[in-house]
Amino acid sequence: MTSSVGTEGQAGGQPLGQQAEFLAEKMAEVRGEISKAIVGQAEVVDGVLIALLAGGHVLLEGAPGLGKTMLVRTLAQAVAQKYSRIQFTPDLMPADVIGTSVVQENGDGRKSLGFQPGPIFTNLLLADEINRATPKTQSALLEAMQEKQVTVAHTSHLLEEPFFVMATQNPLEMEGTYPLPEAQLDRFLFKLRVPYPGREDLHDILDRTTQGTPATVSPVVNGTQILEMRKVVRAVPVAPHVQEHVVKLTLATHPENRENLLASKYIRYGSSPRGAQTLILGGKVRALLDGRYNVSMEDIRALILPALRHRIILNFEAQADGRTPDDLLEEIAGKICAK
Amino acid sequence: MLLRQKINLLVPREFSGRAYFSACREFLRQISSGDQTQSRRQPIFLARSFDQQPCSQELHGVIAKLKTIRQRILANTLLRRWTKWFVWMLIALIAVAAVITKLAGALFFIAMVAAVGAASVLVWTWRNRPSRYETARRLDSAAGLRDRVSTAIYLGGIADHDGMIGEQRRDALAHLVKVDPRGFFPLQWPGNARRAFVLVLLAAGLFAYRIHHQPPLISLLQTTARSQLVQSILSPIVHAMEKDLQRTVALVTMKPEATGEELQRSDAVSSSDDLWKADDKAAGAEAQKDAADAGEGDQPQDQLQAPGSQEGNPSGDARQDSNSQSQEGKSGNESADDKSQEQSEQQGPEGRQSLGQSLMQALKNMMSNSPNQQANNRAAQKPSGQGTPQSGNSQQPGATESDKRGESRGNSDAKQKATQTASEGAGSQQGSKELRKDQESHPVNAVPDRVALEASGFKEQTRMKVATETGTAQLADRGLSPQQDAVVNGAEQENIPARYRFYVQRYFEHTDNGKH
Repeated sequence: MTSSVGTEGQAGGQPLGQQAEFLAEKMAEVRGEISKAIVGQAEVVDGVLIALLAGGHVLLEGAPGLGKTMLVRTLAQAVAQKYSRIQFTPDLMPADVIGTSVVQENGDGRKSLGFQPGPIFTNLLLADEINRATPKTQSALLEAMQEKQVTVAHTSHLLEEPFFVMATQNPLEMEGTYPLPEAQLDRFLFKLRVPYPGREDLHDILDRTTQGTPATVSPVVNGTQILEMRKVVRAVPVAPHVQEHVVKLTLATHPENRENLLASKYIRYGSSPRGAQTLILGGKVRALLDGRYNVSMEDIRALILPALRHRIILNFEAQADGRTPDDLLEEIAGKICAK
Repeated sequence: MLLRQKINLLVPREFSGRAYFSACREFLRQISSGDQTQSRRQPIFLARSFDQQPCSQELHGVIAKLKTIRQRILANTLLRRWTKWFVWMLIALIAVAAVITKLAGALFFIAMVAAVGAASVLVWTWRNRPSRYETARRLDSAAGLRDRVSTAIYLGGIADHDGMIGEQRRDALAHLVKVDPRGFFPLQWPGNARRAFVLVLLAAGLFAYRIHHQPPLISLLQTTARSQLVQSILSPIVHAMEKDLQRTVALVTMKPEATGEELQRSDAVSSSDDLWKADDKAAGAEAQKDAADAGEGDQPQDQLQAPGSQEGNPSGDARQDSNSQSQEGKSGNESADDKSQEQSEQQGPEGRQSLGQSLMQALKNMMSNSPNQQANNRAAQKPSGQGTPQSGNSQQPGATESDKRGESRGNSDAKQKATQTASEGAGSQQGSKELRKDQESHPVNAVPDRVALEASGFKEQTRMKVATETGTAQLADRGLSPQQDAVVNGAEQENIPARYRFYVQRYFEHTDNGKH
């Protein structure tokens, strides 16, 4: 029997089963540490952790003041990783992000061009308000996000693993912004919407931030452990009917297929294979975080919106009818689940 | 379309019978063997192969439970499909028992079809039985196990005790222990079992009834055909057809020249206008005389008709008139002439007055098309039609043989009654006669062209063609359309508004009063 499931018995010196348990425990601890600083936003925190363990990047979309920056900073403290922040502005240049070659003078007085790394050389990068930079600057992140390296003056520089980009964008102030190109959007594993806190959460936020001193976040895991966890994630088995469901979902977003009436009517470009990969990988992480060793249909359904909402491009008719990617995806998923 | 695509794949440029045959054979082979590409699209079918593969020792308990669940699923599916098939067979049985007289052959055929169908359902269900993997999926869905069991079954052939697969297998077993899988798949009656039970009772009752009776549907049809409701529905249609037939016969037998002469004669006699009253008075005596005159020849006809229809339907008179015309001999005609003379002598001022009222009533009937007025008209005609079914008949032959005044009265009376009974209203003929008289007295200016038109809304009326320039009237031209008449007279408008009709009616009334 052929199976795509990794059957290696051990990784990192321990059996995979134990590593899976270790992953679940550690991630629960990380979640607890983050919850010291971030009130509520459980789905956003889970999405960020899933993306971190799946090896992807996250695009956070929400109004100002909802704790996006604090979430990234807290996560960096919890996983004990280097953290840097870039505030994207229209006059930001690519060299400001990835670094540049500068003239350096060595000990014997000879001058040469040396590479000065930019803020992208870190483990956790917060690209704040990424849609305010020009497409030229935005595209500077493309290679870094996908290949985990940057190329300057014909020289490639590897980024340190784990490399995790969290970009934010404000959906309110759209004037003077440059919407992210589809190619860059596709490189984000998830697009998470940061909602407003509820009544109880707001009370809790006020209590924490206006009384006493801010909570201190302790590191729980390190970078090496995160990389080991990523290997464990890839060993989680997927049943064929779950994988078939993912394939159906992805294909159902393609407008070229005339059987997809909804996609043909409202979608201009459907999801790429990265969307299916995201669903499977995210489902694996979610299963492990849930204490399971297999991906279930519930995992896939829970990840449809964050994994696919930024991978489908709506056409004019959808905008005229007031359709959003979220309701279209929910409708598509409902139809496929009903079959 | 699929077949054509396959043929195009096999033989791109030609579409011959050989290519068609090979494509069909390939298609059937794929269906029978289970194509790999199709199985790749449907992993559930692929998973059936896991039934034949060895499985881990840890999963034997799970497989035993899945086997029980699969048997229950199969049993429920069979029960549901068999009940569905049984319902259709019961419907066929009931239909057969309700319609067919000889049941033996039909029952044998239905039994054969039922047996073949049940066997087909069994084979089809067994062939499409859920696999072990599919059963595990259903168990996951029913018990909320989040695809643990199905994944474990899928990976059951892999020996990975310490790895992720082993952990997953142990996790599935641990969660399966907490639930009772058989409780999620009980044997249950199908949803249409109640319907099937009702149909069984119905079929049993029907066959019990059929032991001593013929098919109920046929009996019901026969009873319905004899019922009064159907008679009441069909009788107006039959009467209408009879009226049309009588009208046609009357038009064929009546000569236009003779009719014109008769009309002239009847117009010449002033006292002949009120023969209706005289007829009413003499109705009782005529009935007795007619009964005696008719003899045995007319009696069977009277007996054939129902009393109600004979009394209430004027068409019965016309039918009797036409029949008696052909059956009665010369002696009958002579006696009829004598009767007409007597009637003309009995007429007086009261008769004229009543005729005027009758004319007015007839004109009103002609103008309005409401069924109430028609019913009133019928009711008004009842006494004359009831008591004198053959009086007009006996008078009419005399009209063609004699030229006396009294005979002409009799002719006009007979003609009026015949036309009246045929047209159910008698208004048209009377109105036409009045019109013609007015045309004689005021040949040019008294009556405009439009007045010559008849009431178009009165459909059952026998139309008369009136030539205004000559002052003659031709009777009973059914094929004459008002439009033609209007064109002849120079008037293009066929439908005269109601207010103008009343105006014309009042005009005639005024003229008639002034004349008299």
